[in-house]
Amino acid sequence: MSAGRDDYWGYDARFADVLAPVLGALYDHWWHVRVTGPERLPAGGALIVANRSAGEPWDGAMIATAVRRHGGRELRALGLDALFSLPWAGTVLRRAGVLPSGADNAQRLLAEGHLVLVWPEESSAGPYTVGRFGRGEFVEVALRAGVPLVPCAVVADGRLPLPGPLALPALPSRWRIELCPPVDLSAYGPEAASDRRLVLEVSDAIREQLQAKVHENLIRRERTDR
Amino acid sequence: MGGPDPARRILITGVANFWGAGVARALLADPAVEHVVGIDTRTPPPDVAGRITLLDADLRAPELRTRVRASAVDAVVHTDIPQFPEPGRAARQLHDVTVMGTLQLLAAIGDLPTVRTLVVRGSASIYGSAPTAPAFFGEAMARDALALEHATRFQRDLAEIEKLVEGLARRRPDVACCVLRAQPVIGATLDTPITRLLRAPVVPVMMGFDPRVQVLHEEDSVAVLAHALRNPVPGAVNVAGAGTIALSAAIRSMGRMALPVAHPLFRTVAGAMGRLGLPAMSDDTVRYLRYGRGVATDRMTGELGFAPRFDTRAAIAAVAGALEQAA
Repeated sequence: MSAGRDDYWGYDARFADVLAPVLGALYDHWWHVRVTGPERLPAGGALIVANRSAGEPWDGAMIATAVRRHGGRELRALGLDALFSLPWAGTVLRRAGVLPSGADNAQRLLAEGHLVLVWPEESSAGPYTVGRFGRGEFVEVALRAGVPLVPCAVVADGRLPLPGPLALPALPSRWRIELCPPVDLSAYGPEAASDRRLVLEVSDAIREQLQAKVHENLIRRERTDR
Repeated sequence: MGGPDPARRILITGVANFWGAGVARALLADPAVEHVVGIDTRTPPPDVAGRITLLDADLRAPELRTRVRASAVDAVVHTDIPQFPEPGRAARQLHDVTVMGTLQLLAAIGDLPTVRTLVVRGSASIYGSAPTAPAFFGEAMARDALALEHATRFQRDLAEIEKLVEGLARRRPDVACCVLRAQPVIGATLDTPITRLLRAPVVPVMMGFDPRVQVLHEEDSVAVLAHALRNPVPGAVNVAGAGTIALSAAIRSMGRMALPVAHPLFRTVAGAMGRLGLPAMSDDTVRYLRYGRGVATDRMTGELGFAPRFDTRAAIAAVAGALEQAA
């Protein structure tokens, strides 16, 4: 294994090392990210479930930076499917540890012990509002893989000045990221993945928790920062 | 499991091609094998030709059935599935040879009571290459990949072949039917589009795309056919060297130079280079060079019990080394 920290998914550790200081600068000086609870991340595989705030690339980059700084671990994010057919974009994303979404990819990554980040929201419901979660496929994946779910609330600047997934929110703002305590589903066992009622219940509970945490952090931000 | 009695009388289709001849050699070296029958319209290599019974027949010929039945073999290795157009073998003919040939062969096997084992040289191209494809295809994912609208003709041909094999497996539960879905095979002497591309002094690549590729060394591609004959697991099995490598890294380790071409112009440029000895590229190859492909090999290492000698990186390094020595 001459590849070192690289893996067969297309992740490029050297590229990530080049990217890290750039993202770090955004993290510290542009978005002034404050993170709560990174120490709660379990060792081994876990599925991090985040709301969309400033757009997946930026949310993902900041969550990854927080995890990298506090736990020294690399994250794999699943999403941004539309970008993988474009030149450069797909290559850059893969090297940075992003993969097209899909239960197959998630399942395999978790089995290998990775931290995997997903955005289950079907569509954006407006600033600081967590949208519908669809069929709750992420719960199935976590049940089958036997890993905990980690809800992750992100409060970025809610207003997106430019549309499109790569549009950089133009103004510097103050972000908050909270990693909630892991939700352990191992008691249900992998067969529970086909239990629709359980899957939807867990999925709804996670959505509600995320919504509550988004509001909480929003209020906290207003209070401390004004 | 261990399977049924080891095959003693074996029929090989495409015995003149690299895989057919390779399996024939492996079988001829095995004292338990009594008889090897080969089918091909071309002449097999001299070291094989003299020691096998050669049926000089086109797979598509209707008289083939009687001749196959007369051979009374107990195992069949079907390697005559041309996987890419060659000069003089256009894409349309390819469909005819692969699908109609396989149809005739399976019809013949269907009423040959002695047969216990069928091994088919399929291809991982059945999964195609797509931007949002799973990073590692499992055997059960072929159907989803084929449902995509950009599924190529060759992908659909492969699916048709596998459906025919499944049909035989249903009709003849006593025959173990194993389809090996191999990733692109590379070798120093072998002539496949990917190999020829990597051997070219300047390799055209698509600007902004650096796909993960996964390959199988030529030696392993023959070994796995012989292995599957001894331990045929029913159904499809992915076959590839472990791991993947970025195309750019593969080109570098081959000591070649990449020529980035904007992807809308790729076909034109590659076509122009075709006159300089590069292979004509099929849709499958072009898509493979843009998006790459990985397969999960858990079934190969587990149920089939086959461990390739070369992982993907080692296969590329071995070919690079062999080419350097030859130069």
